[in-house]
Amino acid sequence: MVSLGSAHVGSPDVFYEGKAGPYRLFVTVRTPPMIPGIAQIEVRSLDGNVTDVRIAPLRAVGEGSEYAPPSDRMERSRADSQYFTGKLWLMASGAWQVRMEVFGTQGKAETAVPVPAAARRTLRMQNTTGTLLLALMLLLVASMIAIFGAAARESQLEPNTAASAQLRRRGRIAMTVSAVALVAILFLGNMWWNAAARGRAEQMMYKAPPIEASLQYTNTLVLKMGFSSWHDRRKDMLLDKIIPDHGHIMHLFLIGLPDLNPLYHLHPDQMSADTFAERLPVVAAGNYALFADIVRESGFPDTMTARLTLPNLPGDPPAGDDSETTVASPADVKGSSAFFTLPGNSRWELSLDTQGLRARQPLILRFRIFDNDGKPASNLEPYMGMGGHLVIVKRDLAVFAHVHPSGSMPMAALLLLEKQKDSGSSAMRAMPGMHETAPAEVTFPYGFPETGDYRLFVQIKRSGQVQTGVFDVHVGP
Amino acid sequence: MAHRALYPVSAPAQSAVLDRVAEIPWYVWCSAIAVTSTAVGLYWDISWHTSIGRDTFWTPAHLCIHFGAILVGLSSSYLILTTTFGKNQVGQASAVKIWGFYGPFGTFVSLWGGLTMLTSAPFDDWWHNAFGLDVQIISPPHVVLILGIFVLGLGGLLLIISEMNRANGETRRKLNRIFLYVGCMLAILLLMLISEYTGYTQSHSAIYYRALALAMPPVLVGIARASGYKWAATKVAAIYFVIWLLALWLVPLVPAEPKLGPVYTRVTHLVPMEFPLFLFAGAAVLDFLMDRMAERNKWLQAAVGGTGFLLAMIAVQWPMGNFLISPLAENRIFGTNYYPYMQPPSAYHFNHQFNFYEKSRTEFWVGMLIAFTAAVVMTRIGLAWGDWMRRVKR
Repeated sequence: MVSLGSAHVGSPDVFYEGKAGPYRLFVTVRTPPMIPGIAQIEVRSLDGNVTDVRIAPLRAVGEGSEYAPPSDRMERSRADSQYFTGKLWLMASGAWQVRMEVFGTQGKAETAVPVPAAARRTLRMQNTTGTLLLALMLLLVASMIAIFGAAARESQLEPNTAASAQLRRRGRIAMTVSAVALVAILFLGNMWWNAAARGRAEQMMYKAPPIEASLQYTNTLVLKMGFSSWHDRRKDMLLDKIIPDHGHIMHLFLIGLPDLNPLYHLHPDQMSADTFAERLPVVAAGNYALFADIVRESGFPDTMTARLTLPNLPGDPPAGDDSETTVASPADVKGSSAFFTLPGNSRWELSLDTQGLRARQPLILRFRIFDNDGKPASNLEPYMGMGGHLVIVKRDLAVFAHVHPSGSMPMAALLLLEKQKDSGSSAMRAMPGMHETAPAEVTFPYGFPETGDYRLFVQIKRSGQVQTGVFDVHVGP
Repeated sequence: MAHRALYPVSAPAQSAVLDRVAEIPWYVWCSAIAVTSTAVGLYWDISWHTSIGRDTFWTPAHLCIHFGAILVGLSSSYLILTTTFGKNQVGQASAVKIWGFYGPFGTFVSLWGGLTMLTSAPFDDWWHNAFGLDVQIISPPHVVLILGIFVLGLGGLLLIISEMNRANGETRRKLNRIFLYVGCMLAILLLMLISEYTGYTQSHSAIYYRALALAMPPVLVGIARASGYKWAATKVAAIYFVIWLLALWLVPLVPAEPKLGPVYTRVTHLVPMEFPLFLFAGAAVLDFLMDRMAERNKWLQAAVGGTGFLLAMIAVQWPMGNFLISPLAENRIFGTNYYPYMQPPSAYHFNHQFNFYEKSRTEFWVGMLIAFTAAVVMTRIGLAWGDWMRRVKR
């Protein structure tokens, strides 16, 4: 399995919905594929009263989180006055924050959005650039050979004298020797270029730590995290220690293959710095994809991936925050809404801002939960401190994301910034995604990174029970 | 144009031509300005990266660098085209011919340098997109740029020396002074290039002396040899010292603030490069020894000159290193109290302790052996280059 992005798998962009003082914002940060690089920021005001937004990049925590460079004014769209765009340079891989100053009818407010940055891929040279450079190289080599010829042949001749046969011969020899030397230099240069490019790619490219899963004592799953040179090289970015994210040191998802069924959402304990263990509930034999989410002390998330084959395992039903979901009939989303029924219990509606889903389009996924009798469900409870959890998996497993009502970043990263700001208007305090007016609704800001078929697992808690709604969606280009 | 006056049609004889190089041709000034602009641009760019950070192709520092390339490109092309297609037949008589075009040899070399510099721009742009923005000095596209810059400077030197070798009296002296100045700019460019290895905290490591031995003797010896002036290398090193010191004192007066995060150190002005090296010590030893041994075997000259140069540099820079890491140097005069915006306060102490590049005593001595060998070989190369330049007449 290829793990392409930090934070999640294959889903590197950051989506955030929250409040900056009185203003409700939907922020998208498109992180650059290579670091250092330029992140594209998009801000949409959801209340419609923002006039100006300024942004600045800082480290999330530690040294470098204290001073901000002068902020940049975001460009306000002419067509849509509540839509702002801007860009920021992310100079190193690790946990960043985009600090925002928001101006509007209710004065100035501030907020910060955590942004994990990690290099994902290098860019191939475009054909036109390649052709141009090749042509210039050939011209430079040919003219350099001619220059060497002229140097040997006539540069030291007195004016008005013609080069003798001997000098002309010397010129030809110089040209031959320089041609051979230049070809050798180009050959060595090419070797160096390839080595330099490989070296940079090797040093820069993010890789999640490897993880090894094994079964012990019949049904205890033991996860051992391996060494990651990428993380080790960036110790000063505080990427070592693991901190709990909404109360758990690890969020582990086991997804049955090949039909993404069932889903286990578990929370192993940390046994040592790099070992985690969880006594499994009843598990049906089969192949599983394993996604293990952790958060580093700087708020930088890692999703480690592995494949696992399990036998039929005895055990207790999942308890506490753990859950198991076997999908009988997922809702198939066509158009802008779809319904999922939990037999004898509730009916879930997914409604989309737009007709049909498109890749890279930021949107708010809105789920309403109704009782059997059609009334909005009244007994929703916070599930691990928030309105709900959304797990997004692409059919081919190239994308995995674990999203919350506040957005795609770990809650722990948001909390670190909140602590720093220490202000009252926090997104956390107002139970993100739990809108007072519609308690039976939970929303998630997200953008599908690529076209394809995805399965969404929405998890909420009702009367102490974790419930899961399952929706299949197709994302078009 | 001025250069037409230099070679009047009525006086094609060699002696007449020698006499007629009576004023400084315009393209010599273009060359001197281009090299200066490039050197200033490079210094500015390094300072920009440590104090402001935000980088595009259009920063004033980059424009300054590429102005040099464009100036040389335009002036060289003009000179070549007018010499080739104009009625200036005597201009052709003292030109070289490449691909059917006529022009002074140095002009072709400069033009090549300028073109190489411009080639590096799209290459660098792609490299940045592919592998991240400016994280190292010695990357393949930067090497292309640096090569272009040096060839541009080299072309300038050749252009001046060919005029100088055909001139007499006051004109020759004037040209010689410009030649030394351009040589000094070339030395400054080289010193900026090796500055990653010649920081004062490395002055107790062999790498410091290896870098100096590789870069400095060829340019110092070559220039001195071609110029023929007494104490020419010392003069070049002295000009460098004064310019670099003035930069250290004046550059921090320019207000600047970091425009890239993370900002680890609050910077309010441009951050200068470090205190200059006492290069004139090594250069004076070279001048003295070369003058004394001018008639001896070239390899012997190189062995004595190169060794003397390096010993002199060790004698001054080793104790100076001790001083510069001490708190006594943390002031505007010696400038060890400037930190780039990306240096965290927790790393300030690195500026006040030696950074030992070699990890063992053996490694150090092997490095020193390489340094001395390099100094000798490079001095020999400088001698050959200087002698060759003395004979360039076109």
